[in-house]
Amino acid sequence: MVGQNNLSRIYHESIECVIFKILTNKKIMRISIKHQESYSRSELLLRAFFGLFYIFIPHLFLLLFCAIWGSILRFIAWWVILFTGRHPESFFEYQVNLLRWNLRFQARILNLSDGYPAFGLSGTDDNTTLEVPYPEKLSRGTHLLKTLFGAIYVILPHVFVLYFRSIWGMILNFLSFWSVLFTGSYPKSWHEFQVGTIRWSTRVNLYMGYMSDEYPPFSSKPDVEDKKN
Amino acid sequence: MSRIYAEIPQPEEVSTREREDAMGAYLMMFGALAAGLPLPIINLIAAVVYYYVNRNKGRFVKFHALQSLYSQFPTTILNAVLIFWTIRNLTLIWNPETWESDSHFAENSLFWGYVCVVITANLLYFIFSILGAVRARKGRMYYFLFFGKLAHHLAFSGPNRAVTSHVNAPPK
Repeated sequence: MVGQNNLSRIYHESIECVIFKILTNKKIMRISIKHQESYSRSELLLRAFFGLFYIFIPHLFLLLFCAIWGSILRFIAWWVILFTGRHPESFFEYQVNLLRWNLRFQARILNLSDGYPAFGLSGTDDNTTLEVPYPEKLSRGTHLLKTLFGAIYVILPHVFVLYFRSIWGMILNFLSFWSVLFTGSYPKSWHEFQVGTIRWSTRVNLYMGYMSDEYPPFSSKPDVEDKKN
Repeated sequence: MSRIYAEIPQPEEVSTREREDAMGAYLMMFGALAAGLPLPIINLIAAVVYYYVNRNKGRFVKFHALQSLYSQFPTTILNAVLIFWTIRNLTLIWNPETWESDSHFAENSLFWGYVCVVITANLLYFIFSILGAVRARKGRMYYFLFFGKLAHHLAFSGPNRAVTSHVNAPPK
């Protein structure tokens, strides 16, 4: 009886070990914006009054050109994936860098982070993180499926939910402005909600941009491993 | 005096990433399609941008990017002339003063002959570009007529740079 219990315990432990290994070895997408203990009121006001001129216009102007190039690469990647089952690595890196730049920009525009976002695809930022694992192989069947029916089974349901989330996000953004202005702190749950919306839409973008084969979950929560950090 | 050319890498020496980057150069011919604009110049701009982004990624990539870029010039010029000619004919037809003599399309055999030439040139360009892309994906060299030699000369002239990349050197 004791031996059976021991065997059962060893069996369960080994299964847990395998599951843990799978979870830790599995490369996952990480996206986060650091929640600061205190936010600068002066930067908040500066962004509110002059952000259009010194953040929005210069970044958006450059991002537009990079996005055009990104769309050309994405179109070409579509054909490459169809014939080879691989997303060209340098094309993939370009798209990830473009998403990183966009995240830096969004973090400041939505007042989720202080500081000026770095320009360029190779720019770095301490407050934002975006890591997307490179898929060695992509399924051609899924590739065709998302191209032909992606609008129905991905875009439609996700955009439906994201639409309402973004409305609530706008309200929270307005309220958080006053919260930061008077208290100097951004309520953590509000911050998580905003980051969650960005995470959700990024997952949808990755799936529809041929950068992942995993169907985006209807969740704003980070992936399992990301929670530990 | 003969020129010094760097050694051409063999397929096993070319990494997957280099192969894919080289292949991408030929696929820039779809640039206009991706941008959604039927302007031949878009392909050329895409090829130029691609060349400048990738020219430092090794001679193999540089060669294919250059070959793709140079081979786009003839078709781009032919296509641009065709677009200009078509627009000119259309404006003549739509002009109320000249619309009765609408022989610009129907009876203009020179125009239709030119259309045939452009279609043939584009088809040839398309076929050879696909062949180039497939070869590049396999880590192979593929030389277009004339442009192949030119691209090879520009990409491989001079000794291998690997030696010059050493910053620290022993005392002289």
